[in-house]
Amino acid sequence: MKQTLFSATLDNGITVLGEELSGLESVAVAFHAPAGAIHDPQGRCGLATLAGELCLRGAGDRDSRQVVEELEGAGVQWSQAVSTTHTSFSGAMVARQLPDVLPVYADILRRPRLPDDEFEGARQMVLQNLAAIEDDPGHRTMAALRRIHYPSPWGMPTEGLSADVEQLTCANVRGFLGRHLQPRGMIIAIAGRIDWQDFLDRIERLLGDWQGTTAPAVATGPRGPAMRHVPHDAQQTHIALGWSVPPYRDDASYDVTAALSILGGGPSSRLFTEVRERRGLCYSVSAGYQTHRDFAMALCYSGTTAERAQETLDVMLAEIDRLPGSISVDELERVKARARSGLVMQQESSAARAGAIARQWYHVGHVRTLASELDRYDRLDVATVEAALAALPPRDLSVVSLGREPLEVPGGVPA
Amino acid sequence: MAFLHERLDNGLEVIAETTESALSTSVGFFAMTGARDERDDLWGVSHFLEHMVFKGTADLSGDDINRRFDAMGASVNAFTGEEDTVYYAAVLPRQQHEAVDLLARMMRPALREEDFATEKLVILEEIRMYDDQPPFGADDRCRASFFGRHPLGRSVLGSTESIQALPVEAMRDYHRRRYAPGTVVLAASGAVDFPALVESARRLCGDWEPVPAGDRRVPGVPRAPAVGGVERIVRPAAALAYAVRMAAGPAEPDPDRYAAKLLAVVLGDSSGSRLYWALVDPGDAEQASLHHQDFLDAGLFVTQLSCDAADAESLLERMLGIYAEARNQGIDTREVTQARNKLAGRVVLGGERPRRRLFDVGLEWSHSRTYRSVADTLRIVESLTLDDVQRVLSAWAPDGPAATVLAGPGAEGETSA
Repeated sequence: MKQTLFSATLDNGITVLGEELSGLESVAVAFHAPAGAIHDPQGRCGLATLAGELCLRGAGDRDSRQVVEELEGAGVQWSQAVSTTHTSFSGAMVARQLPDVLPVYADILRRPRLPDDEFEGARQMVLQNLAAIEDDPGHRTMAALRRIHYPSPWGMPTEGLSADVEQLTCANVRGFLGRHLQPRGMIIAIAGRIDWQDFLDRIERLLGDWQGTTAPAVATGPRGPAMRHVPHDAQQTHIALGWSVPPYRDDASYDVTAALSILGGGPSSRLFTEVRERRGLCYSVSAGYQTHRDFAMALCYSGTTAERAQETLDVMLAEIDRLPGSISVDELERVKARARSGLVMQQESSAARAGAIARQWYHVGHVRTLASELDRYDRLDVATVEAALAALPPRDLSVVSLGREPLEVPGGVPA
Repeated sequence: MAFLHERLDNGLEVIAETTESALSTSVGFFAMTGARDERDDLWGVSHFLEHMVFKGTADLSGDDINRRFDAMGASVNAFTGEEDTVYYAAVLPRQQHEAVDLLARMMRPALREEDFATEKLVILEEIRMYDDQPPFGADDRCRASFFGRHPLGRSVLGSTESIQALPVEAMRDYHRRRYAPGTVVLAASGAVDFPALVESARRLCGDWEPVPAGDRRVPGVPRAPAVGGVERIVRPAAALAYAVRMAAGPAEPDPDRYAAKLLAVVLGDSSGSRLYWALVDPGDAEQASLHHQDFLDAGLFVTQLSCDAADAESLLERMLGIYAEARNQGIDTREVTQARNKLAGRVVLGGERPRRRLFDVGLEWSHSRTYRSVADTLRIVESLTLDDVQRVLSAWAPDGPAATVLAGPGAEGETSA
């Protein structure tokens, strides 16, 4: 399959990436600033998220309402999100709208107004979201797992902590954005019906003369306890397990994600078959992979009636134990087939590709071509996947339960 | 882009929207059956049957089906609604035959007693899962209160009691009546080999016995709720309150259905709408939205609110005030233009995904035997005017008579319902 990729680096350190996708009318563009929640100072958890929200509330000569009206008037499906490492502003639209829309994003990045009279609304919006998360048991379970498993502050919730958000000021936000909303380390990605040279020229004009500084690196602290129970009065108990695996930039991550896919990736996976199909213990059960640049976590999740939660956990742990030495060729072929069609189908979505090329640049410093990724999946074999499983049973298993009663891990969890 | 259509001798319709540039093929069986086709003693059977279809045929076990889909790298799933049950798979074009073959065989499931007993446990977990999360059943209760005895009042999942009481024979009978030519459409989108699709359908579905489809529409669709006023669901542990309010709106065949959707974008889209600026932007509500939902013979304007429990009633009043103000003082041309551009953007971006087109094309054909291309839909959206929106607003007031359900931590003295 023909693939047309572009990349450039501006003098001020901004990386610009592009992928042309034939047959599409749309483009998707995303600006990823290195202003993620990892930079929330202690006691100010939620600062990056509040800052990201306030950036949209007036930029350049537009007030808050005009920013949204200009984007939506052009039919842009826009979003703003704060992850652990980045604050991202994205938009997908019919390609001809792009030239009118780019100056809005440039103003959001370079000239956010950060008005005092919008601060309280933005803070209340962040607090409302935090209250809604209290009612989302699945989200809370995964957040608790990240919090105990990752070394501090990598596991802190990006959406913030209510007690901290209550204390934040508009001056905190201005200080944060001054330090972290910077060109150095920013990734801009575009995919779909693009004119690369025209796009690059526009980005150069809008952002090329933006000068900044480099923010200090984040010091990494200790991890949390191996087990946590979160009391929650509901019918179902939610279970999450995590352990350390190689990050995405490590070539062994392909073997690890293949193993995790066999464990809990598709309907023919071990967990789905044993926990749901065979025993009817739950509606949802899965295994997945979550990566930062320097470390990553394998994770398993299920939610089930309180009375059957211990059995569900026991079966999940037994399936993890059973995995090494038991991988079959057929299972691995199914993983390859799923990966191949997933990669090809991603080429039908401008937003998915804009996300993928930015993610790869952040993690490995270049964009992996579709051909090289397909080839890497083809080269997976049972021996390499088994080698990646040599670390099982996990030495640093973290276990979270959320529900009425705590659960037990037979033999305990190593501290 | 082309639309192709064939009708088999037994009445099964096969349709496809083909796109030359597509990299994938999506195929699906659209069964025109759902919660509205159930009776009290069959409540929840459509959705339960959807699960059972994945548990195997006379020749294939459930594990066989899961393994075969994974082996072709398929993205496969199904969903059940009030009016439809849809099974679909997205695959690379060379897997079209394999995917259609498997889906077609699945349409004749074994419905084994032991699978039925195990899957019943999964359905009960699904019911508990939804009951544990917002809006804590307020949406189903509100639809029941709006529609009363009308078939659209029935929730898709059923209740714990109705699922526990359901015998496998009742499901087998329901399947015989509802999964026949005339009630099922085979649809495909993306890179489709249409002659091969028709050939697969003939070979695998050609011997399906036709069953008269019957008219599912019910005379006398309610314009006002069967149960008015505000009902409450108390969940002491809830952090926020969740309100759902349903008022009548244009039905699917009504030409005003698109104008109704545009009106909902103006008044209550999740960003940039009147409700957004009044309630969400200042942080008074976590969510305050309006959307239009249409069925074969009825439509709804659905208002949703989530906020601090102490504010729920006053904010609902404010939302109704915003609707009334729009009706009395009119809507601005600029608002309509912005909403129209948003809708048009959604049509174009959604139109690029074969999987998304499969649902649009398959459901439209199932319901009305009509086909609309992305360009056709775009033309309709772009032709909408301020007058269209104002007409819908005065004919179908979203602040008119409605059913309302409020779920949340509750006030002192209230007990769980």
